[in-house]
Amino acid sequence: MQPGRYLRNMLAISPGEQERLAGCRALLAGCGGLGGFVLEYLGRLGVGNLRAVDPDSFSEGNLNRQLLSSSMNLGRPKALAAVQRMQAVNPLARVEGVQALLTEENAAQLLEGCQVALDCLDSIPARRTLQKACARAGVPLVHGAIGGWLGQVCVVLPGENLLDQVYPDADAEHGEEYEQGALAFTAGMTAAVQAAEAVKLLLGKPGLRGELLVLDLLNGSFERLRLAKG
Amino acid sequence: MISVNTREQPWRDGLNVQALLDEMGYVFRHIIVRVNGEYVPEEAYARRLIADGDDVQVLHLIAGG
Repeated sequence: MQPGRYLRNMLAISPGEQERLAGCRALLAGCGGLGGFVLEYLGRLGVGNLRAVDPDSFSEGNLNRQLLSSSMNLGRPKALAAVQRMQAVNPLARVEGVQALLTEENAAQLLEGCQVALDCLDSIPARRTLQKACARAGVPLVHGAIGGWLGQVCVVLPGENLLDQVYPDADAEHGEEYEQGALAFTAGMTAAVQAAEAVKLLLGKPGLRGELLVLDLLNGSFERLRLAKG
Repeated sequence: MISVNTREQPWRDGLNVQALLDEMGYVFRHIIVRVNGEYVPEEAYARRLIADGDDVQVLHLIAGG
């Protein structure tokens, strides 16, 4: 018997799938623009265990797009806001908040027990670190990134190293987002695609493979671009 | 004709990566270009010629979260 809160997931999600999701654990790397929306989507859907990792606290510049931020929690840790948000929205989705930077040293531990990881980070080196750790741990990774009106998503199966194609310059730390900013709807849209791909991975459904989905919200276009596996 | 991402584009003799980017309005600073799967660094845009039938991929480098 499913809780009434999941009634409207049916039958897009079957009762059996709903039960499977309740037993799953996802690593949410980053609780900012993408991470806040991903948490909302996965938590409301009923993914039972979410490990939300972010070293930062909220600042005023986050308020334009980060779902977990509010005028009331400026200066407070983002990972703590993730826990509090889901306690209010869906206590059946247990959130473990970790206020830490994801590093080569702690990545394996953060991935422990997870069936999927979501890359909602904001730097290229950290994204590479997560990809490497996911490959080692055998955990599929759902990458998302935004810049201005543009968003992108790809699914990286262990060992595919698709992010090497997306970020070929080994020295680059940031991209166009420093010039173009970051918009709430770009974050929400990109996070929605990430959440959908993560759920499909958890349920063994086919999804985005070997391609980068590019969302251009200014031109209203979605493109799927081939990525070579490395 | 050449292919740029998922779209077909006209080709002309002497077309190079820089001219293609200019003509297609790619004005962002951070761009990743591949021709037939081969990464083209920014410093080579003006000298890397594009042949008829080539498959060009242009990505914006975005990494915000």
